[in-house]
Amino acid sequence: MIELKNVHKKFGHLEVLKGIDLTVTKGEKLVIIGPSGSGKSTLIRCMNGLEEVTSGEVYIDGKKMTHKTRAALNRQYSSMVFQQFNLYPHLTVLENLTLAPIKLKKVKKEEADALAMENLQRVGLVQKAHVYPTTLSGGQQQRIAIARSLTMKNPVIYFDEPTSALDPEMVQEVLDIMIGLSHDDVTMVVVTHEMGFAREVADRVVFCDEGRILEEGTPEHFFVNPENERTRAFLSKILR
Amino acid sequence: METVWSAKAWATVWQYRATFLNGLLNTLQSAVVGLLIAMAIGFALGLMATGSVKGLRMFARAYVEFFQNTPLILQVCFLYYALAYSGVKITVVTVGFISLGLYHGAYVAEVVRAGIQSIPLGQFDAARAQGFEYTDTMRYIILPQTAKIILPPMINQVVALIKNTSCLYIIGGADLIATTYNFVTGESTGGAYGPAYLVGGVLFFCVCYPLSMIAGRWERRLKERDAVKPDKADAKEATA
Repeated sequence: MIELKNVHKKFGHLEVLKGIDLTVTKGEKLVIIGPSGSGKSTLIRCMNGLEEVTSGEVYIDGKKMTHKTRAALNRQYSSMVFQQFNLYPHLTVLENLTLAPIKLKKVKKEEADALAMENLQRVGLVQKAHVYPTTLSGGQQQRIAIARSLTMKNPVIYFDEPTSALDPEMVQEVLDIMIGLSHDDVTMVVVTHEMGFAREVADRVVFCDEGRILEEGTPEHFFVNPENERTRAFLSKILR
Repeated sequence: METVWSAKAWATVWQYRATFLNGLLNTLQSAVVGLLIAMAIGFALGLMATGSVKGLRMFARAYVEFFQNTPLILQVCFLYYALAYSGVKITVVTVGFISLGLYHGAYVAEVVRAGIQSIPLGQFDAARAQGFEYTDTMRYIILPQTAKIILPPMINQVVALIKNTSCLYIIGGADLIATTYNFVTGESTGGAYGPAYLVGGVLFFCVCYPLSMIAGRWERRLKERDAVKPDKADAKEATA
């Protein structure tokens, strides 16, 4: 579904990704972990072209991601949930969900509204359909953002540290919805520090550090018997 | 000096009241057409200045610096005499429209640029991730949010533009200042300096003050609204 071939990414002189090869299969739940500054956010942002790769290639469903194809590919294949939610503050919750389907996928308004309400139901926020996002808590905003992703009906959803900006008591409500999603056939790529989530949901975990993938494997492999020394050091710090 | 209290001078002004109103009308006409041109130039340059094409960014910068760092009155003269001497038939009124438009276009451009740059980068990310192209991103997501922010400085620009129609007097315009000046130096009406300038000033004030009031009120409302809102700091993770 998603394929990265020898991806390098530089910001000025700083090389953030130093040759990433990674394949994500259809329906897979992939969790990317790693310390801050390891390049994992950049990695996921290369997948949907929010960052243009310096060298190497990104393919989605066999089609090459470039500056030119980005809009069309994202429209057709993927959605993203951000650390800072990034809901559109000038639109109501319902409009946040339906804007892209109506404008980009030419879905009829009634149809989009119905689908949006269905997804709001799923994240438990139907009653907030007509309010503005800034009146909501962080946890609620992130649930809305997930509903917005679902309303695009795309086969891939990227999650870029979806719980990192949340107050502790709101983390679980978001994780619960993501765990619920994992039973669907949607492909999920999740950058997170939530090891409990990784253990419960991931088909495969990838450990990133200093712009490289150092280790990958099943959650069992990772949490029981990690091979790489840096993986072990990282996990021992994060799993207290 | 005594003319300010001279009943005769006031009587003369009253007798020629239509002349003053006509001057005001010309001023407003120049302001409206100048504003339309300034808006068109300003939005185009503001978008260029925030866009990804380096050549256009440099052009926008150069334009703004040039027009902001030379006096309007010089630009008016230059446009008028340069065109006149090169044989182009152009009326004083048209020169007024164009020079006001060009000059204030530079200021509107800065207002638009600042407005767009005040929108958190996450909004652009969200739009791109959903598959919006540049034009639709601006149209549906960025500019609607910008509009509210730039309204007060934009109204201030309108006020400045109305006052700056006074520069057209140098090329013999029919604006309010030129009218007033011709009135006080005219053969049949000359001498009523005090009353004439007072009337001219009051007319300018009557147009500009309400606009300034609206701008001020709108700005206060925005500030109050922001104060109530939970902080939505754009604490975007640096690169990784």
